[in-house]
Amino acid sequence: MRWTGRIRFLFLAPAVLWVLAFTIFPLGYSLYLAFFKVEQKVEIKRVQQPVLDEQGRPVLEDGQPKMRNVVLRENVTTATFIGLDNFRRLLADPQVRDAVRVTLVFLLLAVPSELLLGFLLALLFNRQIMGRGVLRAVMILPIFATPLAVGYVFFTIFYEVGGPLAWTGIPWLSNPTWALVSVALVDIWQWTPFCFLVILAALQGVPDDLYEAARIDGASNWDLLTKVLVPLLTPTFVIVLLIRLAEALKLFDIPFAMTGGGPGTATQPYSMLAFRTGLRFFDLGYASAMAYGLLAVVMVVITVFFRRMRESYG
Amino acid sequence: MRTRTMLLLGSAALALLAGTVRAGQYVDWNADGTATLKLGPEYDNARITVPQSMLGSAFGPGKQPFKGVTISVTVNGAGPKGGISGPLYSFRPIWEEISGGKVNIVELPFAEHYTKMMLDLRNGTGQYDAFMVGAFWYGDIVPAGYGYQIDELMKSGKYPQWSYDVMPPSLKTLHQWEGKSYGVLNDADGQVLYYRKSALENPEHRAAFKAQFGYDLPSPPATWQQLLDVSKYFNGKNWDKNDADPDSGTVLHLKVGEQGHYHFQSLSASFVINPGDKVTRTQNVYWFDPADMKPLINSPGHVKALEFLQELHKTGPAAQVGWSLGEAWDYFLRGKAVFVFSWGDVGALCQDKARSKIQGDCAAAMLPSSDEYWDFAKQSWVKLGKPRQVGNTTGGSWHGVISNYSANPEATYSFLSLMAIPPVSKLMAMYGWDGVDPGFSYQFLKEDGGTASLDEYVKAGWDPNDAKTYTRAYKDLFYAPTTLTYLRIPGTFEYWDILDKNLSAAMSGAKSAKQALDDTAAAWQGVTNRIGRDKQLADYRAAIGYKE
Repeated sequence: MRWTGRIRFLFLAPAVLWVLAFTIFPLGYSLYLAFFKVEQKVEIKRVQQPVLDEQGRPVLEDGQPKMRNVVLRENVTTATFIGLDNFRRLLADPQVRDAVRVTLVFLLLAVPSELLLGFLLALLFNRQIMGRGVLRAVMILPIFATPLAVGYVFFTIFYEVGGPLAWTGIPWLSNPTWALVSVALVDIWQWTPFCFLVILAALQGVPDDLYEAARIDGASNWDLLTKVLVPLLTPTFVIVLLIRLAEALKLFDIPFAMTGGGPGTATQPYSMLAFRTGLRFFDLGYASAMAYGLLAVVMVVITVFFRRMRESYG
Repeated sequence: MRTRTMLLLGSAALALLAGTVRAGQYVDWNADGTATLKLGPEYDNARITVPQSMLGSAFGPGKQPFKGVTISVTVNGAGPKGGISGPLYSFRPIWEEISGGKVNIVELPFAEHYTKMMLDLRNGTGQYDAFMVGAFWYGDIVPAGYGYQIDELMKSGKYPQWSYDVMPPSLKTLHQWEGKSYGVLNDADGQVLYYRKSALENPEHRAAFKAQFGYDLPSPPATWQQLLDVSKYFNGKNWDKNDADPDSGTVLHLKVGEQGHYHFQSLSASFVINPGDKVTRTQNVYWFDPADMKPLINSPGHVKALEFLQELHKTGPAAQVGWSLGEAWDYFLRGKAVFVFSWGDVGALCQDKARSKIQGDCAAAMLPSSDEYWDFAKQSWVKLGKPRQVGNTTGGSWHGVISNYSANPEATYSFLSLMAIPPVSKLMAMYGWDGVDPGFSYQFLKEDGGTASLDEYVKAGWDPNDAKTYTRAYKDLFYAPTTLTYLRIPGTFEYWDILDKNLSAAMSGAKSAKQALDDTAAAWQGVTNRIGRDKQLADYRAAIGYKE
């Protein structure tokens, strides 16, 4: 009994190690970076070492041991505690304000549209229409496309001189407002099918008896929609909304490929700013503080939603 | 055995008769002491014959000094026939044959190249032996000790022979740091004006322009203000009969993150730079006040230049706010704009009939001058009696720098140097696709003080008139008495990124010119404070040659 008790921990170990290595450690290390100014210096020493064969003996060349160059490195790291400096900077940085604004506008444009369109499409596909199976399969294809590739594809679609949408005369990518709308449209194109798929699954789980009972009680189509289906589907909506909000807050690939965050910073979301700060300018401490800022917002959103769900549905 | 000996002797005799000691797939070692490098179809199967000594004493028939060595070189990703990366592919088999080594070419997207390089260097991974860098990365590479100094390798005589002496001082300084050498000669970047000579010299347009603006249509324009007038005149007219659509005045590439800020740097130089024999607090400065690192980027000169650029943008397609340089170049090459100001690639691409409709009508000149500049000392505008053109080395002048972590710096240096020997470097500058632009004495014509002949350009497929104006424009540009100072201090990538974003906001109408540059200056102060003002000040002074 004792042995089997121990061995179960052995089976859990890979998962625990995985989480520690790839979730807990980066989380902890980035927190450390946010509070410390870390400077790294590598000291180099060049030496010559003999080349060894498979038996570990030196390889000879013209009677002399064949040598190879080896660079020995020694990392020297210094860390200075800077307290809340990075977080103070976060609150005063105009770039952060811009990026937050872009992210929020994007959220407001994209997420409700995806939810609404997904719901409408689910209603359509919940009835018998010709070629429903094929259409449904086609509908969900965008989910499987890589967002970065999608960004590049739509860059050519929105191309203003000679592109397929050039006839509209809309400055899709050169106007700051339209550029953000374009990014939102691409996100809507890609993620509406996800909302559609989940809501459709929920719709198909609604028993026919409920429809029949409502009809017998004299409910109109509108009543059926607003008084039966919407309340029934609300938990699904909340879940979909939650997933989409969390994903949309991390928006990066589409604007990265399509607009580079421009014109100016018109399509630079918060996560792109954090990426640039950390991996372009190597201001890792500040980038970590930014990441924690985003984490805090996502946590608040999730907590509020779960609380509301618990209140509504126990 | 006897037959075999006879055969070997026979082969040797035949080889000697043919003048070849050892014929390889990519290199022939000739009996007369020369070697012939055999290039592929991307260079029209060109054969470059050089003295064997030019390849260095380490190389020769039967020698393979780097057998078993593999080196990795990073480069902006553009493919085997793309700018800067292309020549690496073309010369890799040659180097591999004569050295016995192997080369890994690591293509990285332009937007990620710097990041990947810095991650490798900061962490000391040593994954890459060399990087094809932009000169503006030096501030982050060399002071931190990440670059491998090449002076000793250059002097050794063991590797392919080239020299900084062929470079104008403005370019030489970009390859060195505090007198020590790090960069291997490759590309020479600077922006010149390209214009459609036939349009500017068309009698009908000349008459109409004079009637509209009251002075003769200048060909080429001597001042930016003239260029704007000409650009306005041609914009919206179908002056080029390649298609039925109206054409533009000036085409620009302004997409954020795609080097659009270089347009502003080149254009604003003559609005800002105060001439003088040496660098003082007010003369020959552009970026920061060398007394205290206060940004100068929002000076009235810079602001006026940006307002001018906004006006100029209106004479091109509105979509260019989202264009990278390739798109802007193609627009010009298709005959859709009368002006573009850009790098040497454009002049060479004009000769590429697959891409260009304007060969023979693609003239070049040094960039125009502003008719006034902002005097930093008097804090007032100075009107110029005659134009004062300011040179520039705007761009990356992309070239190889060896990583200090490389276990094989000699092998890496020899590979990079193979592309730096004069006959190779000259050939590369004549082809547009490879991104290697002219700037060295053997690429300039004899009449301009160089050693190249017009025939060589014509043989490489150039129109003679295009070649003449092109090489002269670059000679004038790099030897100009007044030149835009080049920023290459730690954090340059970040300073320029901030500028780029704000310029893009100004060009798309999201910010006024003043607001964009004020925001830039404020953000630059933050960067300077973060990296360390005293440290930045010292590096900046060293970089521009300022002494108190």
